[in-house]
This record gives sequence, structure tokens and C-alpha cells, in this order.
Amino acid sequence: MPSQAEIYQKVSATLVDALNVEQEEIKPTSTLQGDLGAESIDFLDIVFRLEREFGIKIPRNELFPESIFQGDPDFVQNGKVTSKGLDELRTKMPFADISKFEKNPELTAISDLFTVEMITKYIEGKLAKV
Amino acid sequence: MRLKDQVAIVTGGSRGIGRGIVKAYAAEGAKVAFIYKGNQAAADSLVAEVTQAGGIAKAHQCDVANHDDALKVVEAVEAEWGPVNILVNNAGVIRDGLFVGMRPEEWNVVIQTNLGGTFNFCHAVAMKLARQRKGRIINISSVAAEHTNPGQTNYAASKGAINSFTRALAVELAGRSVTVNAIAPGFIETDMSENVRNKAGDLIKKMIPLKRLGQPDDIAKAAVFLASADAAYITGQVLTVDGGLSLGAVAV
Repeated sequence: MPSQAEIYQKVSATLVDALNVEQEEIKPTSTLQGDLGAESIDFLDIVFRLEREFGIKIPRNELFPESIFQGDPDFVQNGKVTSKGLDELRTKMPFADISKFEKNPELTAISDLFTVEMITKYIEGKLAKV
Repeated sequence: MRLKDQVAIVTGGSRGIGRGIVKAYAAEGAKVAFIYKGNQAAADSLVAEVTQAGGIAKAHQCDVANHDDALKVVEAVEAEWGPVNILVNNAGVIRDGLFVGMRPEEWNVVIQTNLGGTFNFCHAVAMKLARQRKGRIINISSVAAEHTNPGQTNYAASKGAINSFTRALAVELAGRSVTVNAIAPGFIETDMSENVRNKAGDLIKKMIPLKRLGQPDDIAKAAVFLASADAAYITGQVLTVDGGLSLGAVAV
């Protein structure tokens, strides 16, 4: 199994191709939307490229879940994710670091969870299961 | 040459409007892979005609309503010529008849070919174009989408859906600089419109302000424009090319 550094390198290279950004722009904490300018079609492109690059299957809504909080109205109140919602987030995205997000869990900031580091951790977990 | 070295796919390319588009694209320097369903003689004659004129065209037999076949054709084209740059969804059929007497298979074949074929080929190329960050998709619609005649519920529905699909896909692909537009032809002198033309006779010309039927080349010229660099800032539009028919004016 490749090391975390090797996975990170490949993830970065994938993002360079998918998002048409320079390698230097990519840092572990870079957010895909805010920092790297990803749009909705880019997320699909990234998934397709990662599947090919790492030889894995990425089920829809697993890496970039679109509707985590739709199942229960108690997950979000007044535009903020509730503690119940945060638990759901931990279950659905165990590979995401939500420590910063949970301090001010504005729903609109959810996309900040999608970072280069997050993808790397997700891939690491996937490959460990193979 | 406005399409020099571009790789284009044109569905329903062997006859009618599609044939006109294939010839026009090839004359503008594109390598044109066209799809035909069954008329091999027409396909062969078109390849010969284009080749004789110094252009490049190749025929691929395929039913556009078959998703897997669409994927295979696109792969074959790319294996031979490299990435596809332009897709023209032109393949279409009619099964005219009053709705109350329409058989489900007459509905289905029109929807599956006209709309389904457009979906299938767009699906086969959309991500490829998105990854190239350039590309053109041109869907051939019809004035019948908005100005319909009795006996065309299936055809009008398929073309109306193509217009909506065109706008929706344009929005999704715009971020990657891929444009998606439609052309809505009026009465064009092709085999497909022959029955209607025979029935309506000179009345059609009276309904068309420009006083003549359209020719496949009239549509082909619009298709060249939308595929060219000149149309880079146009997306999600339906360009009506009908001699003014849809204006609804009565000849005086």
C-alpha cells in the first residue's frame, strides 16, 4: 500500500488535472471550492479520476456527500448544524476533520470540509480495506 | 477554414440536414465521423463525395437510441482521430399521426431516437469535452417544438425536450467552456419533410416570409457558425432557421 505522502502526491496531481490549477496552489488544507475554485461538475471529474488513478470504486455520495442532512429535520436548525447533525457528519464522513467546522457549524460552510487532506485520508482508508 | 483539424461527430449524417452538415464541416477542415442507421449506400456516397472534394469523413453504423453503441462509436472515433471537439445531434425520426390513434411504439421510437439519441451521444462526450475545457454540442431541434401541427405530439414533445435539455446542459458545462446550443429548422427540403410538403403544396411557401423552403445547407451554415470560434460566447440558445416561418405572418 502506498504511503500517505505518495497518496497525497497522486491526489494533488489529480486535482491539478481536474481543476486546471498549478501544483503550487495545492496545500493539504486547501478547500476544493473556496481555494481551488471547484464547481459541481469538477467533483464528479475528481471522483472519476481518483477511481482510475487508485483502481478503486467510489460510491456516489461517499466522498462528496450532497445531502447528508436531508434525512432528518433535526440535523439543521436556523442554518446551523445541530449536535445530532454533527454526529451524522462524523458517521457519514469519518475521514473529514470537522474540528474547526463544529466550532461554528454554519451549513453554508460545509464545503470547507472538502479539502485535499480529506481526500487523501479517504483514499488511505479505502486502500487499507482493499 | 473555420473548423480546421477539429474532430466532429454528426448523428443522422447520411441524408438530409445531417448530410449537409457533414459536407459543410468537412469543407471547413473538420474530420467528420457521421452516424447512419441503415442506409449504407447513402453513407458510402457521402464519404465518396466528401473525399472527392478534398475533405475527410468516415461513416459509422449505429442506432443512436442504443447507449452502449454510442459509447463504442465515440471510442472508435477517438482511437482513430483523437479527442472529439464537436458533437451534432441530428438523428431524428417522425411517426406522425393523431394522438388518439398513436400506438405506444410510435411514441417510443420518436422519443428514444430524437431525445434518447441526443442524451446518449451527449453522455458519451460531455465529460471528455469538459476535460478538454472546450467543445461544442449542437442539437438539431425543430420549429415544431414551439409551433406545432396536428399529428406531431411525439415529435413536438421530443423537440421541446431537446430545447430544455440544451439549456440545462449548457448551464452544467459552461464552467468548462463547453457550449451547448440548438438549431430549430423550419421546413427544409429533405426526405423527412416530403410527405408534409406534398400535402401542403404551395401553402407552405405562403407561410414562409422568405418565400422559399429551406435547404440542408441553410442549416449547415448555422451549424458551422455555432461550432466555430465565432460562437464562443453563445450557449444555451435555440437558433431558429426557418425563413421567418415561426413569425406567424400571413402572406399579403
